[in-house]
Amino acid sequence: MLTPHTTYQKIDKMGNILSASFAPECDEKKATYDACFNSWYTEKFLAGKSITNECEELWHEYKECIDIALVKRGMVKMMEEAREEASFENSGIPQNHDEAKK
Amino acid sequence: MVLWFNSGHSYDYDFATVTLAYMNRYPNPYATHVQSVDTIDCRIDATTGDLMLTKLIVKTGRLPKFITYFVGDVTKSWVMEKIRINRDTQTMTTYTRNLDHKKIIIIEEFTHYSTNADGFTDVQSSVKFSSGINKFGIKNKLESWGHSKMQENLRGSREGLKFVMLKVNERRQAWLEQMA
Repeated sequence: MLTPHTTYQKIDKMGNILSASFAPECDEKKATYDACFNSWYTEKFLAGKSITNECEELWHEYKECIDIALVKRGMVKMMEEAREEASFENSGIPQNHDEAKK
Repeated sequence: MVLWFNSGHSYDYDFATVTLAYMNRYPNPYATHVQSVDTIDCRIDATTGDLMLTKLIVKTGRLPKFITYFVGDVTKSWVMEKIRINRDTQTMTTYTRNLDHKKIIIIEEFTHYSTNADGFTDVQSSVKFSSGINKFGIKNKLESWGHSKMQENLRGSREGLKFVMLKVNERRQAWLEQMA
């Protein structure tokens, strides 16, 4: 039986509590990916043992679910607009450093 | 109207703990308004080796009355976040911004995490509020709301992150010992 979304709680093998997906139907796939990511990040990426994302296949499965969910919720246009904006391309570096220092 | 708020902080945890906690910072008792977090992009930059993530976060509305007057009953807001992590330099930059209600207000947060000489983690953050509303009186209200909101948010997010860091640190140590 499915647990109600409001009481959703998933935990990875390290014991970290995982957040819910905006789409309850993707929660399972998200949890599987998140758990994989946390382990890979800690054991491999930070340790310099891996330069490829070993959870990529799981992410694609999860992403497929998310993409459908975004379409269902009419979110695609907003997402595309965001992607095209320069601020997101700039990965968090203030466009105007002088202004930021004020 | 554009307002900038800058702040600096230091956490008594190493880079591994801070970054893992950051990526798992929700849910926590200080962020009950956050409903969900999804990873919509995940890749490694081929030239720099940076881990690059894009997250989609849904928060429930906590906008002030003078803003809901314009947008109606806003119950949730979609936020996009970009994270870039460089393992060699031990730095993480994050950028967040709301995707909807942009005509009313755009809140952008730029944060830079780096390892200091003590092996702990320093954080520099800048928050930018931009609003297209030019109605008389609204600018001042927005400004003072922005200030108090900024303080409240900062306190909340630091407490939330500290809460998660403490847990993550304990678990990560136990996990690594088990793996060894």
